[in-house]
Amino acid sequence: MSVAKSRWANDDPETEAIIAQRRREKEEKRRAKVEKQRQLEEASRVPAPTKSADTAQGVNGDVGPPKKRRRLSNDPDAPSAADEVLKSEEPKKQSSLLRFPVSEWGPCRHVDNFERLNHIEEGSYGWVSRAKDITTGEVVALKKLKIENSPDGFPVTGLREIQTLLEARHPNVVYLREVVMGNKMDDVYLVMDFLEHDLKTLLDEIREPFLPSEIKTLLLQVVGGLDFLHSQWIMHRDLKTSNLLVNNRGEVKIADFGMARYYGDPPPKLTQLVVTLWYRSPELLLGADKYGTEIDMWSVGCIFGELLTKEPLLQGKNEVDQVSKIFALTGPPNQQTWPGFRSLPNAKSLRLPPTSASPAGNPPLLPRSRFPYLTNAGLDLLSSLLALNPASRPTAQQCLAHPYFREDPRPKPKEMFPTFPSKAGMEKRRRHHTPEAPKRGQDAPELDFAGVFGGAPGGDSGEAGAGFTLRLG
Amino acid sequence: MAHPMAGLKHLSNALATPDQLSNSSSSIDEVPSDLESSIRCAGAQLTQTAGVLLHLSQDIIAQAIVIFTRFWLGAEGGSLRIYSAKDVSAAALYLTAKISFQPTSPRSILNVYNLLLSPDASPLWFVNPRGPPKQPPAADTYILSEGGYQAARLVLLRIESVILRTLGFDTHVALPHTIALTYLQTLGVSKPAVSRRVLEHLNAALLSPQLLYVTHQPNALAVAAIYLATREEGVKLVDGEWWEVFDVDREELGFLVVGMRSTEGFMRKETEQWKDKAIPMVTDEVDAEIERRRMMDEGE
Repeated sequence: MSVAKSRWANDDPETEAIIAQRRREKEEKRRAKVEKQRQLEEASRVPAPTKSADTAQGVNGDVGPPKKRRRLSNDPDAPSAADEVLKSEEPKKQSSLLRFPVSEWGPCRHVDNFERLNHIEEGSYGWVSRAKDITTGEVVALKKLKIENSPDGFPVTGLREIQTLLEARHPNVVYLREVVMGNKMDDVYLVMDFLEHDLKTLLDEIREPFLPSEIKTLLLQVVGGLDFLHSQWIMHRDLKTSNLLVNNRGEVKIADFGMARYYGDPPPKLTQLVVTLWYRSPELLLGADKYGTEIDMWSVGCIFGELLTKEPLLQGKNEVDQVSKIFALTGPPNQQTWPGFRSLPNAKSLRLPPTSASPAGNPPLLPRSRFPYLTNAGLDLLSSLLALNPASRPTAQQCLAHPYFREDPRPKPKEMFPTFPSKAGMEKRRRHHTPEAPKRGQDAPELDFAGVFGGAPGGDSGEAGAGFTLRLG
Repeated sequence: MAHPMAGLKHLSNALATPDQLSNSSSSIDEVPSDLESSIRCAGAQLTQTAGVLLHLSQDIIAQAIVIFTRFWLGAEGGSLRIYSAKDVSAAALYLTAKISFQPTSPRSILNVYNLLLSPDASPLWFVNPRGPPKQPPAADTYILSEGGYQAARLVLLRIESVILRTLGFDTHVALPHTIALTYLQTLGVSKPAVSRRVLEHLNAALLSPQLLYVTHQPNALAVAAIYLATREEGVKLVDGEWWEVFDVDREELGFLVVGMRSTEGFMRKETEQWKDKAIPMVTDEVDAEIERRRMMDEGE
């Protein structure tokens, strides 16, 4: 025996026999493997499963551990180096078959597997607390779904939230680890990765607004995550700064899918009661029941504005006030900038000033005075996101390609992003002054927008830059 | 931005583990495996028929059948001695429709199931072995009373929760149907008879005792259905191993083709075996059937 005996070595012959037995088995395994390798070389192609395991590991780290398939091919001591050689020598003949990420299903665990640490937040669709996984010690966010004895069984919003989150595996979307149950049938909790901050709290905390380079880093990630969601036919329908989570590594993740749902082409008839008022797009406010991903892009515009000024951009007191705040910023719609807006249900009562000399451009540029430190490219992007006409807003993909993100200052590398003390991580409760997303099941209000422009043409105390008058209150 | 594997969830499914396939909760509860297969297959047919009567589109129905099939698998799955197949079928269909673009009400679901499970009025061979009634059946044999509805509604919603809990709330089901049509276009096959046959194979495979939908990814099911349909319709495809273009290897294709072909024989055997009596769709009937078989064995 070539191996020197350590002083821990056991002289017990029985143990020796077991060790020898193991060694024999290992030797046999290795021989089998060499034989297999030889056959593979003869076949001159790499077996697809091995490749799939490699890709699954390499590229797809965030997909749950592929247990079943991988075990077949991914023996820990398999000569993977030899595989590499094979691959590089025979790049042409191999047929590389794509293997799907393998996932499984199993019953829900019990919430007692988590120890609750502190409360974070209470939203319209449930409360969130910070908790620790007792087995692994990992800190997670635990969100209890609100299930008030719904007459139709498990609420469809909760189902959609889980379904969309499970499907939306992306670095910029919060990671849903599992769903766990409490003692009662309708105690349901979502277990998600814990992030230290939400963007709303962070904006409230910091004294100065983010730097332009930091805004770009944040916005790029939001739009990147949203681009992925839209590519998966998922609309978020409640984007706002308090639903964007940020960790101390400068990463942003879209959270709270309580309003999210799949959409289709052609779009199905949907409820207009979505999106928190301040982030709600004009077509929703005017009662459109057919809408698309453009509503999310409007919210992105509001978030962009909020990042620039540290304050929510359009803080309407109610739907009517929200519409007047929007028109005060963008100028009123006309047939050129938004053809067909007149046919929206709530637009009937809308009385626009007779002479609406809207600024040039389609969509028109927002007043520069509101965003004095923004570059021209930035203002162009913001104006297009906040275009009244949904068709004029860029898609998430177009947004990512916008020159604003390529001009100086460049987006700050995530690693360089400043860190902040976490409110959620301590015994502090996040308090939001943002209104909540509309509740499901409410009736869409019939809105009377007759008062939006006060009906009176000519100026009394109109806001500068908007080219029309506004009666407040 | 998005890495290459991102978004594949849309086209793929969670698959049963070997452990889930070899141990079912029902087998632990001493339900004979052939009985389990019979009930599972009958439950799938029940779901299909109910979906048709409810005017639901086939993708919702197929998804419901896959959810129904998953529910019974594994030691931690549902047992046929605890949950009635008819209730799980109804709840799976209700749940799937709820998250689709075509939701349906508990009342519609329960009315349809009441008809389909009526021993006198049902058109289903495994509920009503005498065959669909020749004369219009008496209304009280299939109409749900208000009290009956209230009770059934509670069961429906409870079983919905049980399904969700058992499946860890994963309701995602990707189907091979549209994938197959895309592949057919890619292969340049435009004969309608082929497309129709492909869909027939895919829908028949939902009933397969080999549980093809929970053991294979949709792209493989699509390729196997195309392979069979083009052969049956005498349409020649490109030379070479075209299935590899769709990421299916010869071995998997071969297995699936055999599996899909065997469904017909299985169904023939089933209708023969159960031609005089109903397949038990509720727990009491399952218990009674097991007891009956035990007595038969002891009698011999």
